[in-house]
Amino acid sequence: MIGFLTLLKREIVRFLKDALDTIVPPTVGVILFMLIFGLALGARLGEVDGVPYIQFVMPGLILISVIRNSFMNPAYSLFQSRWEGNIADFLVSPLSHTQIALAIILGGVLRGLIVGALVLCAALFLTDLPFAQPVLLFIYALAVSVGFAGLGCIVGLWTKGWEGVNTVNTFVLDPLVMLGGVFYSLEMVRGVPIIEPLTALNPLTYITEGFRQTVLGGSEAQMLTGLGLTLALGAICVGAALVLFRVGYHLKA
Amino acid sequence: MSTPAISIEHLRKCYGDLVAVDDLTLQIERGEFFGLLGPNGAGKTTTINTVVGLVKPTSGHIFVHGLDALRDYRRVHRLIGIAHQEIILDGQFLNAREILLYQAGYFGIPPRRAKPRADELLERFGLWEKRSARVRELSGGQKRRLLLAKALMHDPEILILDEPTAGADVELRLQLWEMLQSFHRQGKTILLTTHYLEEAERLCERVVILHEGRLRALGAPAELRRSHHRERLEDVFLELVRGEQE
Ligand SMILES: Nc1ncnc2c1ncn2[C@@H]1O[C@H](COP(=O)(O)OP(=O)(O)OP(=O)(O)O)[C@@H](O)[C@H]1O
Ligand SMILES: [Mg+2]
Repeated sequence: MIGFLTLLKREIVRFLKDALDTIVPPTVGVILFMLIFGLALGARLGEVDGVPYIQFVMPGLILISVIRNSFMNPAYSLFQSRWEGNIADFLVSPLSHTQIALAIILGGVLRGLIVGALVLCAALFLTDLPFAQPVLLFIYALAVSVGFAGLGCIVGLWTKGWEGVNTVNTFVLDPLVMLGGVFYSLEMVRGVPIIEPLTALNPLTYITEGFRQTVLGGSEAQMLTGLGLTLALGAICVGAALVLFRVGYHLKA
Repeated sequence: MSTPAISIEHLRKCYGDLVAVDDLTLQIERGEFFGLLGPNGAGKTTTINTVVGLVKPTSGHIFVHGLDALRDYRRVHRLIGIAHQEIILDGQFLNAREILLYQAGYFGIPPRRAKPRADELLERFGLWEKRSARVRELSGGQKRRLLLAKALMHDPEILILDEPTAGADVELRLQLWEMLQSFHRQGKTILLTTHYLEEAERLCERVVILHEGRLRALGAPAELRRSHHRERLEDVFLELVRGEQE
């Protein structure tokens, strides 16, 4: 247990020592989105699903922060350790492969939740949020961050260079998020070519929608559908990351 | 009778077409000071890295204190301290002392025991003044010292050193020799690779000479000199590595 906690501490210290690079920019970035979409454009967009647009968009923006940061931390940390070679320190220690993977994933989860919490605080300055289901909301955010941290872990193992992480960011994460019901609901794009089918096929649409309901209130069925989807996809990502660690994918010659 | 410290059985490692280690069988007894010799590319590092699980063997088995190095890797790792040939230090955000403390942590040593141990090793390796330095602020030899201190943090039963004296100054080399001998006197096992044959002869009870992944000779340095009718271990080495015609 000391071994696991030490590695977890390393992962946390890694991003906290660099908070100006790891915590501040993503928080500021999302706050800019809040200002533009919430305040600047929101007033003109009127109500969506019965709430002002600024309220509508906030939960998704919080979720984006959780997703991005949970993903980035394991991806970069793991690749950096492979690149520098210090991954060998973990691999020749009595830590099990599963412990190493879980510590790295948990490091990502914490960064995701920290940034998510900061963004949430910022959101409260701009609008009121009812927090209809606080417990479910937290479980939800946790599940999302575990899943994306697992994905980050996979990418951190897979990539052969720093560019690989950015490629996944641009070609996987960005489209998922942008077409994932953060800025608009599925109802708003009914009949819009390309956008509607892509949005409807995107699992993140349902995940975002469910999360939004835990914040704003609404259908429990949608919350649980989204949560179930999150847990299922998250389990696949984390499971795959654990398997890759166990077989030593890109870790052992 | 106790099981050997390290038992390598028919180890083979291929990288594509390249056979880095070829059917190597070797036993290192507990408490033995053992040298792994061979020219560049002979397969020394590959062999060592299979013992600690950084390289997956293509075939063959490795046992450490009787434990299967693949299946029982966690218990095996507890027994081994390793200083790699490449200087690998987790130095992006940790200083010298922190590197040792984290290392101890990975081995399950609580901070209250790790701190005095780290300070003792920093002192012993002449790094006390540099305890707060980042890795990039250390000289090459100082990094090598830190690497050795790191390998010793959890007081392992078996010490594996891959070219520990590369880039070491005279003082560090003498100090290291002394330290290894005292470690040896405590009954611990040492597996050392080196390109300095007089170092091997001075320190090692037995050596193995590898060439192109194969075992070419095994025995006490003096015994090898005698059986090959050579004055110096270096000449035995060259004879084995260059082929028979010499
Ligand atoms: N990851 C790898 N992929 C492909 N080939 C490798 C890899 N690691 C080592 N090799 C090859 O395996 C052979 C043995 O390498 P190894 O590092 O074990 O040699 P060594 O005896 O430690 O040499 P040196 O004295 O130079 O350190 C070399 O031909 C090397 O090119
Ligand atoms: Mg080598």
